[in-house]
Amino acid sequence: MRHAWSCLAGLVAASPVAAQLSARTDVSVAGRYVWHGISRAAGLVAQPSLAFGLRVQRLSLESGAVLHYELDAASSGELSETGAGGRHLGEQDVWGAASFVLGPTRLHAGVVRYAFRGDSSTGGVGSARNTTEVFASVSTTSRYLNPSLEAWWDVERVRGAFLRASLDLPVLGWPFPPYAFVFVQTELGMNIGQGPNPTRPGELANFAKRGITHFGLGLGTEVRAGRVATLAFGARSQLNVDAAAKADGPGRTRDFVVWLWSGVTIVLGRNERGQ
Amino acid sequence: MSRRRRVLVPASVVLLVGCGSTHLHVPGVLSPAPRPGTEAVLQAGFARVDITPPPGVGLAGNGPEGGEARGYRLRLYARVLVLADAGGNRLALVVADLGLSSALLHRRVAALTARTDGIGVDRLVIAVTHTHAGPGHFFEAAGYNDQGSSVAGFDPVMVDSLTARIARAVHAAVADLRPARVAWGSRAIWGQTRIRSLPAILRNIPLPSAPADAPGLPQEYQLVDPDLVMLRVDQRDPTSGVFRPAGAFSIFAMHGTGNAPSNDLLDPDIQGLVERRLERHIDGGGDLNRVSSGFVPRAVYLFANGAEGDVSPAWPPQSRCNVPTLAPLPALNGPFTRTLWEWRAPTATHLGACRHAAREAISVIGKNVGDGAVALFDALGPALTDRLELGRSFATLFLRDSARALGICSEPALGLSTLVGADDAHTRIDGWRLFGLFDVGLEQGSPNPDVPGCQGHKRQLLDAAFRGLANRLFISGNLPSYAQVMVLRLGNRVIGAVPGEVTTTAGRRMREQMLASAREAGQPVSAALILGHANGYMEYVTTAEEYTAQYYEGGSTIYGPGEAAMFTRELGRLAASVSRGDTLPATAAPPLDLDVGHRRQILAGKSSTHVPAPRIERVWCSADTLYAWLQLGAAGEWPVAAGDVSTQARVEVVVNDAARTLVSWDDDPALEMHLRSRRGGLAWWELRWSGVKGRTYRVRIPSGVESDPVACSLP
Repeated sequence: MRHAWSCLAGLVAASPVAAQLSARTDVSVAGRYVWHGISRAAGLVAQPSLAFGLRVQRLSLESGAVLHYELDAASSGELSETGAGGRHLGEQDVWGAASFVLGPTRLHAGVVRYAFRGDSSTGGVGSARNTTEVFASVSTTSRYLNPSLEAWWDVERVRGAFLRASLDLPVLGWPFPPYAFVFVQTELGMNIGQGPNPTRPGELANFAKRGITHFGLGLGTEVRAGRVATLAFGARSQLNVDAAAKADGPGRTRDFVVWLWSGVTIVLGRNERGQ
Repeated sequence: MSRRRRVLVPASVVLLVGCGSTHLHVPGVLSPAPRPGTEAVLQAGFARVDITPPPGVGLAGNGPEGGEARGYRLRLYARVLVLADAGGNRLALVVADLGLSSALLHRRVAALTARTDGIGVDRLVIAVTHTHAGPGHFFEAAGYNDQGSSVAGFDPVMVDSLTARIARAVHAAVADLRPARVAWGSRAIWGQTRIRSLPAILRNIPLPSAPADAPGLPQEYQLVDPDLVMLRVDQRDPTSGVFRPAGAFSIFAMHGTGNAPSNDLLDPDIQGLVERRLERHIDGGGDLNRVSSGFVPRAVYLFANGAEGDVSPAWPPQSRCNVPTLAPLPALNGPFTRTLWEWRAPTATHLGACRHAAREAISVIGKNVGDGAVALFDALGPALTDRLELGRSFATLFLRDSARALGICSEPALGLSTLVGADDAHTRIDGWRLFGLFDVGLEQGSPNPDVPGCQGHKRQLLDAAFRGLANRLFISGNLPSYAQVMVLRLGNRVIGAVPGEVTTTAGRRMREQMLASAREAGQPVSAALILGHANGYMEYVTTAEEYTAQYYEGGSTIYGPGEAAMFTRELGRLAASVSRGDTLPATAAPPLDLDVGHRRQILAGKSSTHVPAPRIERVWCSADTLYAWLQLGAAGEWPVAAGDVSTQARVEVVVNDAARTLVSWDDDPALEMHLRSRRGGLAWWELRWSGVKGRTYRVRIPSGVESDPVACSLP
């Protein structure tokens, strides 16, 4: 393992200036797994991820994978991807994207493949839900406001679009090493095509109806440890609007959910923070 | 909250904040009674010591914008003048190319020089030029070691190295004592400095006004104290018996902030150019173009700072670089990854441009002030005399314990305007508003309208919600608790040595009080001076009126609006009690208990025993710059016991002629030494010399290594 890390670091360091290679790994632990505003697991989840990027001038090609492990064994009636009694991998996603930087603005476009590993017979999410989404986003940066707009299109099972608008607001940054940042995250989800399709009654749906699905608000703190590592923790809350976002297990709904999260990130390569 | 929790929570916070801090008990060694010397005349001795540390240290003075030193431009020196009168009274003046003075350093040096040379804390002044490109890690208070730059920590090796070097230089100056003649004088130098916090100075009552002879300049340039006050010193040549110009001591109020805040090289700033200009002038017998003395000038010019609290050098706006901004890090921001944040640095192109503009400004201001010093030095020739009575008085103020008696606040506090930086170097949080809307006080000139408590108009960290709690928990313990105050009498001048940065108007009031008190006590004095940055550091001293404006200087007047009045009273009292030929009571210098912050090894603690011979890897020219890659000894060490006086250059640039004509060395404003890397315990440097004039050059290491010739065409 150590050898693998050394090879990775060496590869990243040796990448030529014109083509900059970078790598990032995250391990997050959260009290809930929420995707597009929909709670998929209500217990403790761990989400390790790995991503690589190759940047040439303003253009980057990126690819990565993320795993969703449920650490709590769900009992019958609890929200879980793995299903009752499970305590294992619930979902694995791979993605690829291209991004283009134009001054403070960043354009992203890519594709995500979702593969579910749960047991549908015990209330989990099984491979029948496996699907693919394409996405595009535009985000920009200013001193106080960092808005982002994402459009997601399920091209396989659900066949429709979902929009997510978010706004990240830095509250303060500690100017001395180790640098620390406090920030607020807000988001709004809107379903414009991932609801039930009357013309295709058998098709899967993510949401119950068109329109706003949820409002999210979070507060996070990030502390940089060394040049490449970052520790982060925070709390997220969500006001659920759509019935699918409210679902909290069979027959249970919650209008408002709050959960805690924390994570460790390591970034290698020329994207690592210099300040 | 339970009682247990009420106790445990604050205790945990205090433990977290205070853990790892280093506490020192520092005695004050006073001078023994002087013994009349063998020469019953005025004597003077000079010395100089190299105090340039290796790269890796923090550049103190710009807070979070002070980076890590990656090399050096001009060498940093401590210059020493020791004066001894016929009665054996000695005074040692040290002016060091450092950012802030330190009571810890002062006391450590005095402990050595009291034993070897009879110069204790009461006869030793260690002042600094206030260059913001000097090292940190040796200060008396945790806040300055841990937050003086982006490289945090207190390093005992730094203290020991500076102490050993400066003490040895004082000893060398004592050994150099020779019959001397001196002359005091002053000269106004206009247009090179300006008041940086004009709205604050304009709050003073009566309103400050420009002198009648001030040239037609903008108001901020007219309200400065333009006087460069100089003590010229000539020494008797031991062989010929003729008195020859040897050096000078002067005071001029100007921040050492010519360099752009993003500068990453150790450098003495404008003050370094002024020092060298007069030294070369003296060595060259009046010819500035004659470089007769080699690498280290023979003459020594101590260019100390005055009441410069609100005085900037006249740098142009383009010499100030943008600061890093808070932004999301575009590092593989995939669809499932969290947004990371970073302090995003300005572009390299921008930094290069503003650093270049700053170097141009330093060059111009250094020349202009240096020319003023040269003219004044020459003008003092006819006024030389061998009469100079020496006296001193000294006191240590316990700022917290005696706050009521001193008329200051019992708990120091930093204002939010301090955190944003002064106009010379705003920090990255300057002007920050919560969500871009709500004023949280992170700007200059934003006083607290409620004026609560002793700190009055000062806006403190989170004071709206928690009053002084945040300051008490996180800040005040890191600030200094003592002030060493001293008044020297050098002939008909009294000099108040203040451990901080006194504003122009506060300094004027202190001078007036000292002069009146000294005269009332029967001292034959004609003028009073303020020597800032001396024997310790407790930030700024504004007048009570300026304090109400809460500009950077007011926010940094840590013991509140009564500070200037306190120093004025103390200096007046000390000016009236200047004495000579005696010893001071132990109460003048009681031990100090210092919290110096987190101990961290920044400098290597011992010397390498085996270092390969230096070598030159490569030399080439590009446009107007000659480059060389060199290996020059061990990487980061700065031994305490060796290499304290550099008598020769480490690197030289010579013309490829038969005589190998010397054109530059590593103490030339046009030559920079950048550390490229540390490999195998060795330092690999890049030399950049921008003085190319279309000839063929060689790079030479004085120990005998010389490069092949390289032809440089004119750009």
